[in-house]
Amino acid sequence: MPRRPSRATRHRLAADAALLVTAAAFAVPLAWLVLSSLDTGATLRVRLPDAPGVANFAAVLTDEITFTPMLNSLLLCGGATSLTMVCAALAAYPLSRFRARFSRPYLLTVLFSTCLPVTALMVPVYGLFVRVDLIDTMYGTALFLATAQLPFAIWLLKNFMDGVPRALEEAAWTDGASWAQTLLRIVLPLMGPGFGVVTVYTFIMMWGNFFVPFMLLLSPEQLPASVSIFTFFGNYQGIAFGELAAFSLLYSTPVLLLYLLISRRLGGGFALGGAVKG
Amino acid sequence: MRPTAPLILLTAALLAAGTLTACGSGSESDRDTVKVAFVKDTNGKVTLRDDYVRLVARQFERAHPGKKVRLIPVQAAENDYYTKIQQMMRSSKTAPDLVYEDTFLINSDIRAGLLRPLDGYLRTWDQWGQFEPSAKDAAKGPDGHTYGVPDGTDTRGLWFNKKIFRRAGLPADWRPRTWDEVLDAARTVKRKVPGVIPLNVFTGKSAGEAAVMQGFEMLLYGTGQQLHDPVSGKWVTGGKGFRDSLAFLDTVYREHLGPEVSDALSPSIQTRVAAELLPEEKLAIDLDGSWLGQQWQPTGGRPWPAWSTTLGQAPFPTRHGAPPGAVSLAGGWTWSVPSRARQPELAWQLIQTFQSRPNALEWCVRGAQIAVRGDVAADPRYLSSVPGIGFFTGLVKVSRYRPALPDYPKVSAAIGEAMEAVTAGEATPEKAAAEYDGQLASLTGGHVVARP
Amino acid sequence: MTGAVPHAARPAPAPRPAAVRRGLLRWSPLAPATVLLLLFLAGPVGYCCYLALTDTQLTGQESASFVGLANFRRAVTDPAFLNAVVLTLVFTALSSLLGQNTLGLALAALLRRASRPVRAVTGAVVITAWVLPEIVAGFLLYTFFERRGTLNALLAWLHLPTQNWLFTLPILAVSFANVWRGTAFSMLIYSAALAGIPQEVTESAEVDGAGGLRRLWHITLPMIRRSIGTNLMLNTLQTLSVFGLIWTMTRGGPGDRSQTLPVFMYDQAFMKSLIGYGTAVALLLLVVGALFSVVSLRLLREEV
Repeated sequence: MPRRPSRATRHRLAADAALLVTAAAFAVPLAWLVLSSLDTGATLRVRLPDAPGVANFAAVLTDEITFTPMLNSLLLCGGATSLTMVCAALAAYPLSRFRARFSRPYLLTVLFSTCLPVTALMVPVYGLFVRVDLIDTMYGTALFLATAQLPFAIWLLKNFMDGVPRALEEAAWTDGASWAQTLLRIVLPLMGPGFGVVTVYTFIMMWGNFFVPFMLLLSPEQLPASVSIFTFFGNYQGIAFGELAAFSLLYSTPVLLLYLLISRRLGGGFALGGAVKG
Repeated sequence: MRPTAPLILLTAALLAAGTLTACGSGSESDRDTVKVAFVKDTNGKVTLRDDYVRLVARQFERAHPGKKVRLIPVQAAENDYYTKIQQMMRSSKTAPDLVYEDTFLINSDIRAGLLRPLDGYLRTWDQWGQFEPSAKDAAKGPDGHTYGVPDGTDTRGLWFNKKIFRRAGLPADWRPRTWDEVLDAARTVKRKVPGVIPLNVFTGKSAGEAAVMQGFEMLLYGTGQQLHDPVSGKWVTGGKGFRDSLAFLDTVYREHLGPEVSDALSPSIQTRVAAELLPEEKLAIDLDGSWLGQQWQPTGGRPWPAWSTTLGQAPFPTRHGAPPGAVSLAGGWTWSVPSRARQPELAWQLIQTFQSRPNALEWCVRGAQIAVRGDVAADPRYLSSVPGIGFFTGLVKVSRYRPALPDYPKVSAAIGEAMEAVTAGEATPEKAAAEYDGQLASLTGGHVVARP
Repeated sequence: MTGAVPHAARPAPAPRPAAVRRGLLRWSPLAPATVLLLLFLAGPVGYCCYLALTDTQLTGQESASFVGLANFRRAVTDPAFLNAVVLTLVFTALSSLLGQNTLGLALAALLRRASRPVRAVTGAVVITAWVLPEIVAGFLLYTFFERRGTLNALLAWLHLPTQNWLFTLPILAVSFANVWRGTAFSMLIYSAALAGIPQEVTESAEVDGAGGLRRLWHITLPMIRRSIGTNLMLNTLQTLSVFGLIWTMTRGGPGDRSQTLPVFMYDQAFMKSLIGYGTAVALLLLVVGALFSVVSLRLLREEV
């Protein structure tokens, strides 16, 4: 007589089945992206390409469509992300470690401002940038992008930092270490995964931002890929789905790579929860 | 411990800023440079305008040694282009010296004080006499000054597929005389040639000005009504003609003579019609613009060699065939000089280069533009440039321009909403017209008048 | 906004110079972020508050004039604005509260029981959807829901009735799209929260014979309440300002049936050039977001 599977096994099988169904549902649109990019006759439906090939990629891999905008994007978003992370880490430290009457209002203000649509700010920001001579400069645009992402980054990093026990720092302080040394040598290494997740998140948000660079950069040779993908979409919607898919895939690659890199090195995005356990 | 930590952080920040500074090209405000902002097709493969502007720019640089032309192509959807050039023109630091303005918007920008009157230059320009009077008016502000030099116009009519018509038993020299004859032809196609969309009329908010101009105004001006009453200087509320025009749309989409409603209202419909439905012969009749052929030229976005023999053109009729029997609307773009331009003199000289006879001809030929200069319109090279150009040039004499008023873009948006409501089946033509009346009053500050 | 916040510590009543200096030194790391926020965020927001009190237009106007609260008064009587408010609430409730949050929790709970390979595959797929740039995600979901798209192909294959999703149920389609894109965030947060529950607690409950659902309701949920609250708040704030996803999929249409507040704001400010009115709408959106957060923070504090 065959043994009935144990309760734990049955639970596991049920969970596996439920998860696979969900994963399949999530995977369908992704499958479209991959399959269509290899299919010159792609349509709106998921289908296997008749003759898979890289013609779509060849068509979009030009200086004008892909390489220059992608390079600009890397510089713009890379620079802005580093700036955001440096400022946010610095700001999160005292907010997490010291008590003051203003720190809660400060954090709340910062948090509320995350739901302000950035598009609403663009007219004043354009005016400001003209006045301070930052218009049509990559670093000016990066400064604004960095600021726009700061609130969320500060908030998340502060919460991650709360999760790092103080005992180690106190030991370092007694040794006469400065706050900067403690932050850099002790706190940040301990919250590596959280730091990584916030970095990825910040980078993703900047990478996809269309309106900010479109308004603040005038010279076409400085425009990032988020702008070129918008024009690409605006025009091709309904025609060259294969090329669109190929370009979308190329455009998403840096973000995916960054995520993989960081989750490999730091133990995965599953650490995100540390930020909000309170 | 050495105090290296702050140093590292600081260096990181400086490096980040440094890389970016190095890449930001210094914006030049050179006295010998003239900056030209224009819209670039969102399809990167269509470089007609860029090529032409570059050609003229090089010519200008050769003719004016020491001067440089800096091009600022803005690759974006039209609305984003408007937003961007308006921002640029607001400040003398970023204002281009020459800007490509849509006649759709030019009056708003004139009212906002963003453009510079050109009368002083035009008075002494010997070529100005060559321009069609109606085209000259397109860039004239309410103050009577002229703010732009048009480089072409466009007209609108019916494009139809002769092959589909043959299968439906319709004539190859089709000339509908009333709206009903258009609808009847579409119904015949629907009956006899299944699988083909009988008639496309652009509609709704997504297609934007294309819907309002090609769709709605082509209808409205054929009912004898107008959007704006020049005598009283007021906007006309939605009268019978307005409701009839919406009812025409209602018929097209309720009887399924048009594309699927969701397709008709989707942002991609214009591209689909030009690049897919017509070339793939899935659409029998299309109410569209004179520029379509440009797309199918070997240098266009969707080459289609057989188009000139496959497609026929017919003028769009008035409601019941009232004289002049046909109706068309004219649009187009002008070259204008922003009021905050730093080099207006150079800009004016560049306009002259753009609108020299050979260059104007070149642009009309390349861009499938309808000529606004009389001498270009009569040029054999122009008349043989694209099949059908003679037909569309002929429509200029029945063409109407849109109300050249600053409030027009807002009124146009309200019309788009009325069209969308009717097309989607959310409102009857009467209800949509009533809602339009309400909007019109608030958009124009009550400058409205009712006409039966 | 941040302008109201001083960026140095307020020391005790009778400050000694040494304490002040220490306070300043302690709080000095806050300076770079604060300076950036003040310059590039608080400054423009302040200017927005001014714009919202004027009838400024992007074009078509000789000069703007001060109109006081007219824009706000106009908003509360504008049927299009009220429609946008309702749609925003529906979108947030469907996609954030119901969708991302519940699905995220369910996935996190299931992941703990699943076998290793399934866990890896599911995690990877769900997280990829989160990592993709917004416009790509929007486009993928557009192809999925489009009339000739994948969803209808699947339904037809299963002999189920097909729907023109983006046309008949646009707000539902964009809500699903937002669930697809945002669930990973909740999943990650809840995975961590569940991992933090000591094993003994669940085991003793199991010994007591508590069933799965009861265990979830009486033990698990109360233990991760703080995570739930924070996650809800973050999700809500992010969902309230979703623009690119909806713009790519429907542009707020057909008609105005998926026009949430950010889309409405863009339409007024940039398509219709009414930047004064558009800015007022944006500020109202900010108020809605702040209300949401204050409510969830209050709940959090009282329950813990």
